[in-house]
Amino acid sequence: MIVRRFGVRQSRQLLALNRRSPISSRFLSTETQIPVDTAQKEAPVSSPNPLHEVVQATQNPRSLAQKQFKKQEQQRSKFNKLGSAVTDSHDPEGLLKNPPRPSDITLELLLASGTHLGHSTSRWNPQNSRYIYGIREGVHIISLDVTAAYLRRAAKVVEEVAARGGIILFAGTRKGQKRSIVRAAELAGAYHIFERWIPGSLTNGQQILGHCATKVVNALDEELPEFKADLADRPSVKPDLVICLNPLENVVLLHECGLHNVPTIGIIDTDADPTRVTYPIPANDDSLRGTNLIAGILGRAGEAGQKRRIEMAREGKTLYKPVTASELRLDPFTGVLPGAEQTKGPKRD
Amino acid sequence: MGKINLTALRVRQTALNQFAAGKIKKLPQWVEVVGDIPPAEALIRNRTPQHQLVRQRLQTSPDSSKPQVVFEVQEKRRKSKKPSRLFKPVELRYEEDQLRTDFFRDHPWELARPRVVLESSGKDFEFHDWSRIQQPGRKLDGESVVQRQLWLLNNVPDMTKSNAYDIARREFYKLRLKEDIQRRVAAEEAQATGATFGPSYLEIGMELESEQHEKWKTWARLEAQVLDQRVVAMSGAPEIAMESEAERPADIAQETEESA
Repeated sequence: MIVRRFGVRQSRQLLALNRRSPISSRFLSTETQIPVDTAQKEAPVSSPNPLHEVVQATQNPRSLAQKQFKKQEQQRSKFNKLGSAVTDSHDPEGLLKNPPRPSDITLELLLASGTHLGHSTSRWNPQNSRYIYGIREGVHIISLDVTAAYLRRAAKVVEEVAARGGIILFAGTRKGQKRSIVRAAELAGAYHIFERWIPGSLTNGQQILGHCATKVVNALDEELPEFKADLADRPSVKPDLVICLNPLENVVLLHECGLHNVPTIGIIDTDADPTRVTYPIPANDDSLRGTNLIAGILGRAGEAGQKRRIEMAREGKTLYKPVTASELRLDPFTGVLPGAEQTKGPKRD
Repeated sequence: MGKINLTALRVRQTALNQFAAGKIKKLPQWVEVVGDIPPAEALIRNRTPQHQLVRQRLQTSPDSSKPQVVFEVQEKRRKSKKPSRLFKPVELRYEEDQLRTDFFRDHPWELARPRVVLESSGKDFEFHDWSRIQQPGRKLDGESVVQRQLWLLNNVPDMTKSNAYDIARREFYKLRLKEDIQRRVAAEEAQATGATFGPSYLEIGMELESEQHEKWKTWARLEAQVLDQRVVAMSGAPEIAMESEAERPADIAQETEESA
């Protein structure tokens, strides 16, 4: 509203122009139009009463519109080849479709994504003071070089864990983080949570995730169905690395990771507690563009790690100590072969 | 357990201890990784970056022919900080803040113009050269004036703030007028090549008004008939009614007002 009025102030001559303006809804009446023609057809009532003298409309809007349309069509056919094609300069889906690699991290990219914006100074957690560059307009500004360094370190961790065949879990439970989380997990060959973390999924995994399917794979990620029977009484699978985009809402997840000794990576805003995660990434966790960027970079790092692992496996090498078939057959709780349980049982006691 | 929970930061030590104690049979895959890439030290407070307001000016002196670049640093406060404030972040201040405040105080409606705050790569500033006020790919706005003024202050010898403001402002006004003319010409050109702009707000308003007028006309005609009939009924003869109407038009007008 204000802008329009200002435009009017600026260019008074333009008012005289007959231009299209956005028609606001208050001008779109749903009432049926009163036909103007009826007034024309009626003969003027000859009466001395002054109220009977009514003005007669003399225009014919239909023919006018027809004439205008005809003129427009003529001119269109005449000037059809003029003009230019306008292309988009910004691709909002780019971060999701083709996320940058860890080597592409620049301070300009982080700045453009808004990762430097913290919270109001009154909401800060003083443990974050080393990540903060200064105060601007009552808001803490996170130091971009620190963000870049910590993000590179976290990406390295993701890559190495993926190269060792670790299970990675991406968690981002805020509204709008779903697509980036799924995309990152897809790239890194990882798992994802975009809804609520069910409390107890780690500490009470047998009850909550007991029904979920598990499988045994070889070094090239091909499933080995012959071990299906051995998986029946296994405890639920624990992740080797958890990446959390919103640690503030996922306190329970991080607590359970602490109880089960799982390393975590998290985006720490100026109001979050940096000791909750193993590898903090000081950045703005409220900007979707910022979290998309960070998730994308970590996803790319995981992708590189998985690629390395598969290439090494093709050459017959692994960075991790492989599990042998006989080890898999052992009972997960007693550590002995199921048949030998009776002989070893008394020793345990 | 103390106040601070260091479980997350000590995952590797915990895993090694658990392995040594025999709680876990196998070390997890990540122990090596966390050993190679240790978590950053937490809870260590460093002195936060200290920021000072620096001004750059070019000054001519009678001794040398070339103007000298002078940096003015804002004086530090005499009173030292409280020890408790030592680790608090410091306010970021730049010279253009004051210029921006001044400009938008004088031109408050500039803030009402829509502007683009989105950047794809964050490297737009590399294409800007503020020796001219107009930049490729950037709309002319209040920020252009501020940046131009800052460039003048930094790069023109013996430039004062008000002088730089006047120069930048004048360029800005000239370009704004030019924009107006360009817009008008563009509209004319578009019309000449077949564009039709729909009805303007004024025309739509007039249409709505005439619609209501039509409604009123039908209503008024009905009212007039009713009045005529009432007069006829009172007098009993149409001729008398017409006469009385001719004699007392004021009374009838009053009556119609009452009935309305």
